[in-house]
Amino acid sequence: MFEMSNRNKRGDLIPNVKGLPKWLVYALLSLLWWGIFGFLGKIGSDRVSAAQMQIFLTIGALPLVLGCIIRLDFKIATHKLGVTYAILMGVFAALGLLAFFAAMKSGTASLVGPVTSLYPALTVALALIVLKEKVGKAQILGLILAIASIVILSL
Amino acid sequence: MAEWVTFSIAAVVCWGIMGLLQKLTTNYISADSVLIWDRVGYLVLLPWLLGTSHLNNMGPGDILIGTLDGIANGLGAWFLYASLENGAKASVAVPLTALYPLLTVLLAVLFLGEKPRPLQWLGIALAVVAGALMSREAPAAKHVDEKL
Repeated sequence: MFEMSNRNKRGDLIPNVKGLPKWLVYALLSLLWWGIFGFLGKIGSDRVSAAQMQIFLTIGALPLVLGCIIRLDFKIATHKLGVTYAILMGVFAALGLLAFFAAMKSGTASLVGPVTSLYPALTVALALIVLKEKVGKAQILGLILAIASIVILSL
Repeated sequence: MAEWVTFSIAAVVCWGIMGLLQKLTTNYISADSVLIWDRVGYLVLLPWLLGTSHLNNMGPGDILIGTLDGIANGLGAWFLYASLENGAKASVAVPLTALYPLLTVLLAVLFLGEKPRPLQWLGIALAVVAGALMSREAPAAKHVDEKL
């Protein structure tokens, strides 16, 4: 399933971590943290409001931002259009999180988690309409399965 | 329609637009810079959230969970970018990380006592597979699907 690559984009050799390619370890860690994010989102949403969750989620992510700034040696991109899109992206991400926490408050994590993870369906559709991007067979199959799952979970 | 469905659809709409903006922004600036500037977008909403919320009813445990959730969210995005920088192909790493709801479901069943019905299990399985399939890179697209 996994294409083993031990070289980064610059062509540097990357050592394996306990027999696994480093990229795979990082990808699995990403999956792990996002899985925990969904779980903690449910626990938190049962206790406080969506807005309160969003306030502290924003604060919790700030150390990561600082880490990125240091990693870039304080040379952050300032391309006007790129920055505008990125900030707008953050606004929509945060609004989505507010809705996500509200959904978690009234629903179960085992349903809200999978349903909200279907957002690429809209991205694929928008990319098709706005950016005139090609849609692959896998994405079309994904769209069909996404619609089927929403219908089933709404029953 | 159940309340959770309405809010979930609202989240899907917002994150769907976010995905499009992500495709657009990565044409101009690096992934690291996107991670910084998109968090500025989060901060834009902060005054409104603080103005409409009372924080005095929150205990240390509530604050801790919200903050940890932010850390988990940020680390998820950071590790995906790190994976891509260390030789991962987006067409493999992004769909792989899109399977994260499986872990959320597992944790919810194990620790929160949630018990989806058999038909709901089918819907969950379809949703997870659909998410992974749709996160695959389209033929001409070279982007990273960040969750948040």
